[in-house]
Amino acid sequence: MRRKKQLLFATYEDFDKARDAVAELKMLDLKEMIVENIELYSPIEHPEVEEMLGHFNQPIQRFTFFGAITGTLCAFLLVAAAAQAMFTVQPQGGKPVIPLPTDIVIMYEGTILFGVLSTIIAFFIYAGLPRRLKKHYNQKVSEDHIGIEVQMRPEHMEKVRTALQSNGALEIREVTQ
Amino acid sequence: MKDIEWARINKDVLASLESPRAAFWIVLAVCIALVLCGVAAEVYQYKHGLGVALMDKPHYWQLYISNFVFWIGMSHSGTLLSAILLLTKADWRKPIYRFAEAMTLFSILTAAIFPVIHLGRVWYMYWVLPYPNQHTIWPNFRSPLLWDAAAITTYALSSILFLYVGMIPDLAICRDNAKGWRKKLYTALSVGWMGRATEWMAFRKTYVLIACFLVPLAVSVHSIVASDFAMSIMPDWHITSFPPYFVAGALYSGCAAIITLFVMLRYIFKFEAYMTTEIMDKTAKLTFAIAMVWNFLNLGEYASIWYSNDMFEKEVLIQKFIGPYAPVVWGMLLCAMVAPFAMAFEKFRHNMWAMFWLSLVLQLGMWLERFQIVSPPLASNHEPWTWAVVWPGTVQLTLTAASFGWFTMLFLIFCKIFPSVSMYEVKEMVFHRRHASSRDEMEDIGKIKDEVMRSEGGLA
Repeated sequence: MRRKKQLLFATYEDFDKARDAVAELKMLDLKEMIVENIELYSPIEHPEVEEMLGHFNQPIQRFTFFGAITGTLCAFLLVAAAAQAMFTVQPQGGKPVIPLPTDIVIMYEGTILFGVLSTIIAFFIYAGLPRRLKKHYNQKVSEDHIGIEVQMRPEHMEKVRTALQSNGALEIREVTQ
Repeated sequence: MKDIEWARINKDVLASLESPRAAFWIVLAVCIALVLCGVAAEVYQYKHGLGVALMDKPHYWQLYISNFVFWIGMSHSGTLLSAILLLTKADWRKPIYRFAEAMTLFSILTAAIFPVIHLGRVWYMYWVLPYPNQHTIWPNFRSPLLWDAAAITTYALSSILFLYVGMIPDLAICRDNAKGWRKKLYTALSVGWMGRATEWMAFRKTYVLIACFLVPLAVSVHSIVASDFAMSIMPDWHITSFPPYFVAGALYSGCAAIITLFVMLRYIFKFEAYMTTEIMDKTAKLTFAIAMVWNFLNLGEYASIWYSNDMFEKEVLIQKFIGPYAPVVWGMLLCAMVAPFAMAFEKFRHNMWAMFWLSLVLQLGMWLERFQIVSPPLASNHEPWTWAVVWPGTVQLTLTAASFGWFTMLFLIFCKIFPSVSMYEVKEMVFHRRHASSRDEMEDIGKIKDEVMRSEGGLA
């Protein structure tokens, strides 16, 4: 049977307080290993989050690279196949059947199109979208508050709650999933 | 702008979706009327044939192609400038990039109509698609016209995705505050965005990567449109500098359009706190710089034709200045070459309505530029039997006016449904400026403390 997840969702009025709360949770975790996962919610991007929560492994650029190469090849195949098909019905008058200089333009566009499309696909994969809104999602997070979601074992809940509260949490919601 | 509260940013931008000024409805009504006139003109053209668009004369590329080039050009500044300013981390782009990107999208949609109108028989349009068919004929990918189709399709799709991805965090804000059909729409489009760190990290990477693709893409699109002309052997079209000249012209007309829409949105949606004089000043300076690049390329083109001493090229150039199309050419020079010098003056750049009227003059100049690129060479080229001076007729002019109505209508509807100012990016701008100023204050206090310590040490 799947173990139920125990979560606490705290909201803060500014980023600095949330950062202090995460730092304290990390310290607690180092000492006692009580935190299973921390997720930060914010209305804007904070690049410092990577330092706070650790490195995010999101190799989106690999998708971009391979997507772009696929685009180049697909575009070449399209124009080459169309040129071959035309060759059977239209005389070329000594011109090359597959003229590379003119095909480069289409290949260039194909590279960009597939590159962009694969980047978007990678974005949805690594951002975990589309998804349903979590029940404890606080709409204030899209306005001006910062949210911290902490996953832990039920026996550690009080310690985590104290850490969140001592750093100025405005509201703490308890969630069982 | 550093003192605006985040909650107020949400409130102001969301209010723009609900209660614009009365001018919104007036402009929208005029636009719809223009579109209806255009539909009537198009129906009339179908019924009576392309002769009513004066294509019964050997002068086939006229106003429809000029309009196509004009609208493609207009589409350039939005996405291209947004992408360049994003990569160079220019934060003043943040309140204005959303509507500029939307402008790109609707300009492309407007431009795409003209080749269809120009071809006449719309019901055979599917012949241009590359699919196995009973004619056993495929589209000819060696033609710049097909490059055009590929480039514009790529540009349109990439621009839509760039606009959409950049809008997801704002759609989530709309979702959290909307009711009724809007709630359903925003919920579907925001795809469950909650502002998690994982989402933001993936978002920023994606946004920058797409921007990296869009810069060369935008340059390639208008270069390819230039190739439609430059790859031919027509005098005054067969010019090596055409691609950069077209790209500079596209950026120029696009920037002018951004200024027009900037003032319009600022007034209609009450965005005075976000679309500030400071941002207008920077946009105007950028437009002025691009205008000077365009001036240089334009004069360079005249000089290279003159010094090449090619009799056909020279004849077309002379005819441009003293022939039947001379008013168009001189009008272009006045509106697009001389008028931008007004932006050299700070007082002028800070006057919103003066900038609005100037931007319209610049766009008129760029529209005339497109017309003088397309029409005059056809009136004096290598084949004397094709020489015909053709001025646009009622049907063509009606469809041209309708295209402006169509573009503005789509744009206004977009701004009424989606936030035209990026809420999260403005919040970021406010956040970083506030932090920068508090950091400066801390540094100043530190310096004062050091000086006090030093002087106390000296006294001791």
